[in-house]
Amino acid sequence: MKKALVAALLIIISIPMLIAVAAMPPHGDADSPVHTHVSARYIEHGEEEAGAENLVTGVLLNYRGLDTAGEVIVIFTALMAAFAVLITHPGRGEESGPTTAALDPEPGTEPESDSKAPPPISPVVSFMVRLLTPFTTLFAIYVILNGHVTPGGGFQGGAILGGMFIALTIVLGEDKVRTLLPRRAAPWMQGAAVFAFVAIGVIGAATTGYFLGYPTDASLHLVRELMMVVIEIGIGLGGAAIFATIFLQMEAE
Amino acid sequence: MYTWPHWLPLVVLTPLLGAALTPIVSLRTRHVAPWWALGMMTVTSVAAGMLILRVALEGPFSYLPGGWVRPYGIELRFDEFSASISVICLIGWLAVLYSFRYTEWLREVPKQRIPYYYALLLLNLGGMIGFVVTGDLFNLFVFLEILSLSGYALVAVSGEHIAEMAAFKYLLMGAISSLIVLFSVGILFGITGSLNMADVASRLGDTGSVAPAALALGMLTVGFMVKAALFPVHIWLPDAHSIAPSPISAVLSGLVVKLGILGMLRLYQIYYTSGIIDLFVLNQILVWLGAISIIMGAFFAVFQDDIKLMLAYSTISNIGYIVMGLGLFTNFSIIGGSVHVFNHAIIKATLFFAAGAMIYRTGYRTLSDLRGIGSSMPLTSIAISIGAISIVGIPPTAGFLCKWYIALGAFEANQPFFGFVLIFGALLIFVYYIRMVNAFYFQAPVRQEVVDATEAPASMLYPTLLLAALCLIMGVLGRIPLAFIEPAVQRLLTPLGG
Repeated sequence: MKKALVAALLIIISIPMLIAVAAMPPHGDADSPVHTHVSARYIEHGEEEAGAENLVTGVLLNYRGLDTAGEVIVIFTALMAAFAVLITHPGRGEESGPTTAALDPEPGTEPESDSKAPPPISPVVSFMVRLLTPFTTLFAIYVILNGHVTPGGGFQGGAILGGMFIALTIVLGEDKVRTLLPRRAAPWMQGAAVFAFVAIGVIGAATTGYFLGYPTDASLHLVRELMMVVIEIGIGLGGAAIFATIFLQMEAE
Repeated sequence: MYTWPHWLPLVVLTPLLGAALTPIVSLRTRHVAPWWALGMMTVTSVAAGMLILRVALEGPFSYLPGGWVRPYGIELRFDEFSASISVICLIGWLAVLYSFRYTEWLREVPKQRIPYYYALLLLNLGGMIGFVVTGDLFNLFVFLEILSLSGYALVAVSGEHIAEMAAFKYLLMGAISSLIVLFSVGILFGITGSLNMADVASRLGDTGSVAPAALALGMLTVGFMVKAALFPVHIWLPDAHSIAPSPISAVLSGLVVKLGILGMLRLYQIYYTSGIIDLFVLNQILVWLGAISIIMGAFFAVFQDDIKLMLAYSTISNIGYIVMGLGLFTNFSIIGGSVHVFNHAIIKATLFFAAGAMIYRTGYRTLSDLRGIGSSMPLTSIAISIGAISIVGIPPTAGFLCKWYIALGAFEANQPFFGFVLIFGALLIFVYYIRMVNAFYFQAPVRQEVVDATEAPASMLYPTLLLAALCLIMGVLGRIPLAFIEPAVQRLLTPLGG
């Protein structure tokens, strides 16, 4: 009965939605407002105005840079939420820093992890992951640095890097991988994307008078590219560190 | 000094960057985190003061990140409605101060979580400020995500099982409403090709796509109303707001639900200027839902024994007042509703702070356990009584003027029925606050802890007293926010070119 009611309600709601969506400009119509208004300028002048051969990067980092800054803060918020909800060491490590629990398990927790020892990993899988690690890293760096020319960029490269990190954790165990994220450096890396955006934004505000402004002069083309690359690296590092930390935190749970 | 253009990005980025730096500054010792958060909120408040001064002297102004002109880049827009960042900064600052002792006391919270608690609080406040000052639809969604995501986690932070369940319920409803908002922003972009609010408003009328515009309007309304917890999508609120730590309850109940209302005001700015759809039907629906919320919220509050649950239901009731004010869509009622956004934030923060102080000192949270607390915690009890009088709307307190204006609006709109609903709701509210005052002052204590209780520590007592004083001051000086909001409402009610 309840299911039937829900189904009926969904159908009743979906009919006006479908009618309204059908009345929208047809998909791919060259004369629709989506193609003639704002994006027309992006496509026409994007390369010289925004300074990225890849128009998507131009929109992400230049035209709508503040949105992307907001998005990296959303990802950072997810990490803070994971910490705030998942850290459980009541009464222990009173006076030590907060990330101790997150990244540096205290000696007292060792027996616990022994009791739920990870299942044995096939030597073939282990070998393959270790063999591929340098290549994956190289590819991730390529995707991050090349983001302003070809499809790719910090988010994608960071995801590759983070995925590699997670695969390594499964194969090598947590402790070895944690050395890649030392306790002191971890919060800097987790916030790298936010810091890169704010740093470049403030440089922009100091030089052009606008937050996240880039030099428009043709002779400063390289400077503009460098600023974008710094942001891409920040997003890549920050994204990878956040993926990895959330994974480690959930594993600790 | 107030004309320095960068105050606007600064007011958004200070809390957000401060949050990203919180884990770093508290690497050595977690005791730095609260002071750091307080410092960040101080800087934010200074910037907010400059912005409000400027909008009062010069009228609305914009900031263009990256220097791209409208509509090619993102626009930050500061108008009279954006001046609500004043109350976000005020309550945010006090909530941080209040948390100093309160978080240390929460036994269930592992101490290592505390820096992340402050980081999330800063993210939440920064997200709200960004939401209020942005002039771009997608940017609005981004800030909505920051403030929602941090809000879910803050509800769950105490680590009790019931808190996690409440946060999960909040997360499910909130995530769906965010998706609805994103989808509607997509529709608006699809029919206008723009994301800038002012640009969308000017182009929407010429598109002729009435059906998609109506769908976007309806869905954005639903999305924002879930955030605002209007009947019938309020079901996440009572648990989430009552189980969260008290300073967080104050922020969530006083501020976060209001963001749905402010989003609604932005929506009205777009649709009313473009004139593409007659808003009459939507307004009628909102008035009715508001009226039901008033009665239902107040009715449930009457039967609560848990003091924080009672306050949470009262929030639903008050959101009903604000939405009814918007839905009546007259000069008086919109002004009353908008000012109630400010005043209810102050009143509800007073009540949650005072309730939190009582729970902090006694460990009890129900009216039957807290009997007779008026003699052992006199100042806190006075604060909660002032809050109670204000929320009923007895002159000369902050609540009176708004409700008076909304009632005037109901008569102005020739719908006196809703004026009576408002008065009836106020009477119900009166009943449950009388219950509270009765329990605190006129009943004998039943718990030893209540008899032994003393006033809360200064970092909790003074914020409570300050807010209680503001409840009275805003009642006397209520003309100031009214005069401030009036030009914005006039602009809202005057369609483009009209």
